[in-house]
Amino acid sequence: MQNNHYYLPHNREINIFNFAAQNRLPVLLKGPTGCGKTRFVEHMAEKLNRPVYTVACHDDLTASDLVGRYLLNPEGTYWQDGPLTRAVKEGGICYLDEVVEARKDTTVVLHPLSDHRRVLSIGQTGETIKAHDDFMLVVSYNPGYQNMLKGLKPSTRQRFVAMSFDYQKPENEMTIICQESGINKETAKQLVSLANDLRRLNDHDIEEAASTRLLIYAAMMINSGMPAKEACMSCLAEPISDDKDTLAAIERIIDTYFES
Amino acid sequence: MEELIGKTWHRLICQTSQHENETARIHLSDLSWPLTLFYRALGGHPGKKIVPAYATRFRHKRRLIQRIAGTDQKHFISWQDEEHLNLPPSIAYFEDATLNTSLYYWLTAMSAKLPSVDHWFEDNQRICAELLKERPGLKKTYHKLAKACIDKRPLLSELQNNEYEREIAIQDALLKPGNHHTLPIAKGDPFPVWIWLYPAPLRAVPVKTDEQLESGSNKQSSKQNSSESRKMAQRIDDRKQTDGLIVFQAESLFSWSEQADLDRSQIDDMDDDLISVAEDLDIVSVSRQRRSGMAKLKFDLDLPAAENDDLPLGEGIRLPEWDYRKSKLIEDYCLLQPMLADTVEPTALPEHLSNIARKLKKRFSILQTQRSWQRRQTFGDEIDLDAWLQNTTQPVRDINRQDYYQSQITNQRDIACLLLADLSMSTDAMISEEKNVIDVIKDTLLLFAEAMTDAGDQFGIYGFSSVKNTQVRYHILKNFKETYNDMTRGRILATRPGFYTRMGAAIRQSTQILSMQAAKQRLLMVISDGKPNDIDQYEGRYGIEDTRRAIIEAKKQGLQPFCVTIDNQAHDYLSYLFGDNGFAIVNDVSKLPLILPRQYLKLTTMNA
Repeated sequence: MQNNHYYLPHNREINIFNFAAQNRLPVLLKGPTGCGKTRFVEHMAEKLNRPVYTVACHDDLTASDLVGRYLLNPEGTYWQDGPLTRAVKEGGICYLDEVVEARKDTTVVLHPLSDHRRVLSIGQTGETIKAHDDFMLVVSYNPGYQNMLKGLKPSTRQRFVAMSFDYQKPENEMTIICQESGINKETAKQLVSLANDLRRLNDHDIEEAASTRLLIYAAMMINSGMPAKEACMSCLAEPISDDKDTLAAIERIIDTYFES
Repeated sequence: MEELIGKTWHRLICQTSQHENETARIHLSDLSWPLTLFYRALGGHPGKKIVPAYATRFRHKRRLIQRIAGTDQKHFISWQDEEHLNLPPSIAYFEDATLNTSLYYWLTAMSAKLPSVDHWFEDNQRICAELLKERPGLKKTYHKLAKACIDKRPLLSELQNNEYEREIAIQDALLKPGNHHTLPIAKGDPFPVWIWLYPAPLRAVPVKTDEQLESGSNKQSSKQNSSESRKMAQRIDDRKQTDGLIVFQAESLFSWSEQADLDRSQIDDMDDDLISVAEDLDIVSVSRQRRSGMAKLKFDLDLPAAENDDLPLGEGIRLPEWDYRKSKLIEDYCLLQPMLADTVEPTALPEHLSNIARKLKKRFSILQTQRSWQRRQTFGDEIDLDAWLQNTTQPVRDINRQDYYQSQITNQRDIACLLLADLSMSTDAMISEEKNVIDVIKDTLLLFAEAMTDAGDQFGIYGFSSVKNTQVRYHILKNFKETYNDMTRGRILATRPGFYTRMGAAIRQSTQILSMQAAKQRLLMVISDGKPNDIDQYEGRYGIEDTRRAIIEAKKQGLQPFCVTIDNQAHDYLSYLFGDNGFAIVNDVSKLPLILPRQYLKLTTMNA
């Protein structure tokens, strides 16, 4: 499969995931943007040696996008399996990223798959497929993000083994940034402190603070020779706010670490 | 002539003794929002507010010219108490304006790390050293500031003995923070160190009174004194009831009288001069009792007589309140009284609104006609390829099924909105010759209601005011189930401002009402003109924390709170209450009737 994914555990999530996989239970991952949910799934898929089918969910996602649909070719029509069906048949991990974005009627096809039945019914073909033993359903969502408008239905959430993710502890986050970007430890440490300053503004002043992913971007830019302050402005300040005064304040915070 | 010479002399002598740079002056008011963010990001408590500090008297050695001019006695220093971070109202110490700005940020950074100063000399050095170590980006600025600061300090050659040694220690501590542990003792106060924090003045600690406050209304003027600096407050304990009581018989008093010619015509007009007196005072003593010395009559003159008041519905509803000091929700603390104006006349929409109302209605009626595709129709605008494919691939085809079309249908909006208006006394303030804030709020409510009837969304309109926790008045202007008609219009037009703003209780009640409505999106819109406050302890941080709590509860119920405010200073606390995207500030009050519907559209079509 792909190259090895670097993953530094937050907590005991690897264990929990392993047990869930052993017992063929579906898993729900919660956590803010860019804290490592997707990376974790990729890492686990590698460890368990299963293929992973990732679907980024959106408003217009229909059940047939997951299950599959008939397509046309010169000979006539043929059936094309969707990512969910493929994972069910081959025994892989189907990962639905940001599952709350999908319409509620879409998530209902997951119900018979996520309980003891472990079957997928395909309406169009009238088939009912029994899931492969290695099939595993993993969904993720971000509770902070517009959750008042779009929550997961309780009947859906109650089918999952759930675990919460948050940004890593500063020391760990530092290691990750060094590992991913090749930047020196000192700069990584300052980037992490800066991110933690910005995270204090979360919820009331800015919608969502700088993620580990953005930190890695900033570190990569700095490592390739961009001035630190400029890199922070464009990777950590501009992406998280549009308000001029807020940006001015963030610039001052960046100044306390990296002089221009 | 005398006066002119005096004034000229004063200006001249003050100028020569002054060491501030007017061209480089930076005002706190221009920086308050970025500084607030900066403070929170660096670890300061999110509930604290940045306010201008008052000048403090220092007893330090002054130069002859300064003594002659009477300047340099008082300085603005920075300190923190439980609710506020006090920073100088403006800074003009240095020639370079960027350095003056940097000083603000530096003081804020220090404050975020040092909530209270115990040992002035040691603590400041320790925090400086820590900050410089953690945040290397500050080094350059700090050294610039420290150097500039030392340049402006008294000359060493002018000092002797202990004072000399103390000054040396301070200057050295500024250059190399963390090296010095004890400050040599000397006469007087050392010249203020601008880049350090000071302990909170003891006098600013409020005297706790359990006594409930009287609701006095002898406001001098509704216009706030916009002077930037504040005064040191001293709360005096005047609760003793026996003061001034004569305990012996009046007949035994000796008395005499003599004639004195007094011109009292000037003394009569004392009110006007109070402000200038206050400016001259160093300490303003504040009494907890509004009318000391007068007889106390304990009834609320404010409240209208029962027959003139709205009809109270039921016995009232008991609601909890959050006390941040105890971190506890006090059950049944507030009594909320739903009220209905039952004697109003049915009224048509006022003439001056009809034009805008028509435009708004047109805009809102589009909402009902927003479309989306519906698939598998027997006839329609376009072929539904998916449906055809699916039918074609069926092993047994149903010839009767001919649903190969898709057509556009109108979207079903499923929205309930509760509009909660602040009807406290402060809305009585005038905004122009003939209009006050409450008129604009009424117009807004009417226009919003007009527009909503055409959008077809469910909505309710309520208003609130309060007199302590025992009477939170909750006016029903339009229930969710009611249709909007001349009667409801009459009720909206009949609202009168009064009393105070206990926002938490009103939001809790609104939350209850709104959560009973069945809708996919439930919006709680609050129109306010200022901070939550009431005449008991419900002010400052207490009111803010309670309101915040109520909003968090509403969010937990799946409601979407949003605040539209006309308070220009609201940015500081509203983001803490409603979240970053949870509010809109209206700079021009007269625009409110148009901005509210616009915000509503933004909020409800965002997810459609």
